[in-house]
Amino acid sequence: MNATFALAGATFGEAIRKRILLVILLAALVILLISPAFEPFAGRGQRTLVISFGFGIIQLAGTFIAIIMCTGLIPTEIERRTIYTILSKPVQRYQFVLGKLLGAIATLGFVYLTMGLMFLLITRWTLGEFDPKIVQGLIMFFFQSSLLAAVTLFFSTFVSPLVNYFLSGGVFLMGNLMSTFLDTIQRNPEVTPLTRIPVQILTVLLPNFANFNIQNPIINPEQVLTDEVAYLVQTIAYAVIYMVLLLVASILIFNQREM
Amino acid sequence: MSDYAIKTVNLTKRYSGLWSKTPVEAVKKLNLEVHRGEIFGFLGPNGAGKTTTIKVLLGIIYPTEGEAYVLGKPAGDPSNHYNLSYLPENPYFYDYMTGEEILTFYARLFGIPEPDRTKRVRELLDRVGLSRAANQPIRTYSKGMQQRIGLAQCLLNDPQLLILDEPTAGLDPIAHIDIRDMILDLRAQGKTLFISSHQLSDVERVCDRVAILNRGEMVKLGKLEELLSGGHVELIAEKVNEGVLEPIRNLGGRASLHDGRLIVEQPDDGTIDRVIDLVRSSGGHVISVKPYRRTLEDLFVETIQGGNRQ
Ligand SMILES: Nc1ncnc2c1ncn2[C@@H]1O[C@H](COP(=O)(O)OP(=O)(O)OP(=O)(O)O)[C@@H](O)[C@H]1O
Ligand SMILES: [Mg+2]
Repeated sequence: MNATFALAGATFGEAIRKRILLVILLAALVILLISPAFEPFAGRGQRTLVISFGFGIIQLAGTFIAIIMCTGLIPTEIERRTIYTILSKPVQRYQFVLGKLLGAIATLGFVYLTMGLMFLLITRWTLGEFDPKIVQGLIMFFFQSSLLAAVTLFFSTFVSPLVNYFLSGGVFLMGNLMSTFLDTIQRNPEVTPLTRIPVQILTVLLPNFANFNIQNPIINPEQVLTDEVAYLVQTIAYAVIYMVLLLVASILIFNQREM
Repeated sequence: MSDYAIKTVNLTKRYSGLWSKTPVEAVKKLNLEVHRGEIFGFLGPNGAGKTTTIKVLLGIIYPTEGEAYVLGKPAGDPSNHYNLSYLPENPYFYDYMTGEEILTFYARLFGIPEPDRTKRVRELLDRVGLSRAANQPIRTYSKGMQQRIGLAQCLLNDPQLLILDEPTAGLDPIAHIDIRDMILDLRAQGKTLFISSHQLSDVERVCDRVAILNRGEMVKLGKLEELLSGGHVELIAEKVNEGVLEPIRNLGGRASLHDGRLIVEQPDDGTIDRVIDLVRSSGGHVISVKPYRRTLEDLFVETIQGGNRQ
């Protein structure tokens, strides 16, 4: 376990020094900071604007950081041959993959913590209140990005970083849209089972990223979820289980891999 | 099996490229036996298959055919990795870390607990002469310093077997000698060293046995003295008259005479005494007798060129 944590620590240390990730994080922080300046354009009131805009920025930054970081985690180690000194130590390949994922999640934790604190400060300042629902939203997005990180890491065990950008990006988009798409199809009586069933299968197989977007209830407090806590717990459990499955698949592929 | 530090049986490795149709046969039916406690030189030109063999021994890649055993266990067996260590060719480390941090990282991979870990790391930094650069990021290290860090991470676990891939590549002559001395030091401690190289001058002096690999095949194996036997002796003499040229040539060497100056290249088989006698008895004057031992470099070039000509 010590080896796994050592690997996770090294992964974190390296990720937070990566220039592109820092640029994205900094850009997000700056945009969050100046977002109250858009106040005059508010259509549906300040609250909606500040919150949905802030969440939008945070989610976008989290998504890009997760994908950009994780496409490179394993391929870079192989390319510059750091992996050879690691795997010639008493380190099993599963520990290596697990360490990478834990390091990526820790990095996302750090990223969400900084963006989240900035966001809470901004909302406290502009809205004059501290809304605990914002924290819930941040936690959901953190798990969404972590799940995306696991998806990207999984692909990185067998495709090149470039292909991975498209694959992971595609899975993220589809995973966000599939449930809505399926809903529409199911409501339309003209759609034959021949179309419906593949869509249903895809919806189940692909990670459902839409589950994590709970900003609507926060923006419109009147619209109440029946059991909020249960929903949060369920969604987090979904993310964790899906990540474990992806991790196992990644390890199985990586075990066969030659470097 | 456990008498050997390394043993391969008909080891074959083919890289089947995803795009290229013809697979590259990097190692062909290799039979290696490295004894415990010896320094084994694993030599060959670029692309011979040295690194490929090493990667199989470490379990980083898998054999296509044949078997490989390290310290009596199948190659890649994780429990082996407590007792061996590896220095890759042109090693590269997480360069944002300092020398001390990277060694601590590797020590954690070995599961060395505190407070031994800190102590061991300090010791090794001292041993490889990097104590003063310990808190500097590796990014700022010279190539020689990086190689030293590479060696230090190899010694963390006090291994029985060290596999060094081109340990002196790109280093200046002084660093060469440092590393060579360290290798000798390790042998004195009873370690087995498996050293791949194409830089012969350093290895020549320290290897007990060498194998020469070319295009994936072993073309020569043996004790260094045996492989290097058969040098020649050069004799230069003056005031030699032409009459002795014929008898000298009959002794099996090459001889040439210009203006009374004789140059003889005689096989190193004792016949040089008779050449000297002939020169003297004819009134000649011997100026110098100089033995030329065969170098590993010569052997290497002869073997590889012989192999490629076929
Ligand atoms: N991953 C790989 N995929 C395909 N071919 C490879 C791969 N790695 C090595 N090869 C090929 O296998 C052969 C042996 O390479 P290897 O790296 O083992 O040689 P080497 O003896 O270490 O050479 P050098 O002295 O240059 O380090 C070469 O022809 C090389 O092109
Ligand atoms: Mg090599």
